[in-house]
Amino acid sequence: MTPNGAVFVCLGVIAGALIAGNTTSLAALLVIALVLAFGSRQRVTTALFWSALIVLPLAGFMSLVWVGIVGRAPHEIATGAEGSRAAAASYVALVCLRLFIIALAIQATFLHFAGWTPLRFVGGLRAPPTVKRLLTLTLSLIETMTQAVDRARTALITAGIITRGRSLRNLRNGWLLVQTVWLTAITIVIARTRDKWTIEDTLARLDTAVAGNLRFSTEDLAWIGVAAFGIALAIGMR
Amino acid sequence: MFTTPRLVAIALCAALNFAIGNIVYLIKLPIYLDSIGTILCALMIFPDRRAALVCASIAGAIGVVLSGLVVNPYLPWFMFSMLAIALVSALLTANATETFRARPMQPISFAGKVALYGVITGIASAVVSAPVVVYLFGGVTGSGTAFVVAFFLKTGQQLLNSALLSGLTTEPIDKTLQVLLAALLYRATPGEFLAMLRPAQPAA
Repeated sequence: MTPNGAVFVCLGVIAGALIAGNTTSLAALLVIALVLAFGSRQRVTTALFWSALIVLPLAGFMSLVWVGIVGRAPHEIATGAEGSRAAAASYVALVCLRLFIIALAIQATFLHFAGWTPLRFVGGLRAPPTVKRLLTLTLSLIETMTQAVDRARTALITAGIITRGRSLRNLRNGWLLVQTVWLTAITIVIARTRDKWTIEDTLARLDTAVAGNLRFSTEDLAWIGVAAFGIALAIGMR
Repeated sequence: MFTTPRLVAIALCAALNFAIGNIVYLIKLPIYLDSIGTILCALMIFPDRRAALVCASIAGAIGVVLSGLVVNPYLPWFMFSMLAIALVSALLTANATETFRARPMQPISFAGKVALYGVITGIASAVVSAPVVVYLFGGVTGSGTAFVVAFFLKTGQQLLNSALLSGLTTEPIDKTLQVLLAALLYRATPGEFLAMLRPAQPAA
């Protein structure tokens, strides 16, 4: 699959999950997301585990609020019916299944590009050069900032200004970490744009590196067809 | 509109939105702070208001998409909230840039403008977020605000009203903190970088 196909397929499955209004159509979309994951020929357990890990805390919270506290489903509240905890639980299950499919669709799409670098993925996208340049710059600056966070955090902990765990000191001084990271990043960026990039002609080289738009492959079209089937199914079963 | 320094500013602010999530997680703060980069981008590119709006929106959009791919797959659904924040920042909050950079700081004026624009940003964000919170999350997003939603539901409010009222209760506080941090970062940003973001002046 090419990056362009991946974007369409992923958005298609997510759109289907949003349109689907009952557990049957959501179950069909779950099967499509699973087929997408297994189609990558990679280990899917991590994708399943990550998706579950994202949804489980939400599911716990929703159950506590809807089943434990409110005790009835939204449609029952809307009609003024007395309602039941079973209906509330069924509503929570529907929302959680939808959220799980969305998370799994993203992870399953990622699996098709295991081993690709972000630069290679951006290079394969059919997008204007400015968009590709912007995406690459952002990814590069995220790396810069992540390293700045690590360094600044260690320095501020060593100086006793913030702590490793939750504390009042972190609430009071946490913004110093944000400011340190910002100033580190901006100093680096000023030096890069003013001197380094000009001398090395970095931006022109970057444009060349991410140039080229991959066309849709046959595999892309097949996957897009599967996603379109999922959307049609979700609409048909509403 | 998209000069190289402005592209860099957009990328920097998108990266800041992404990195601050990491900071909040590392030092375990009970707040989100995920829009500071968006607000800061509008402040830095002002007084070109149109460019400030476009650049802040793009920075916010890239931030939520990348965070959505790597950290939380549900963040992109708040794309319209991010655009609303960019709109308020470019049209209103950016009017306070002189106060935010005034030396020495004028504490009363500074605090007043932070509070005013923070509350407006919070209200805009709450109104735009409420339908997403209701449809995608069933009104419960996994934060402490869920209990505020539950309280309003118990009092007989409809789900959308409860999510909206909950947002209006909590968002202004969160967004005032974000405007405060963005203003402090803007104040600390070197003038040299801000000068790079201004459009080139024609020779006299």
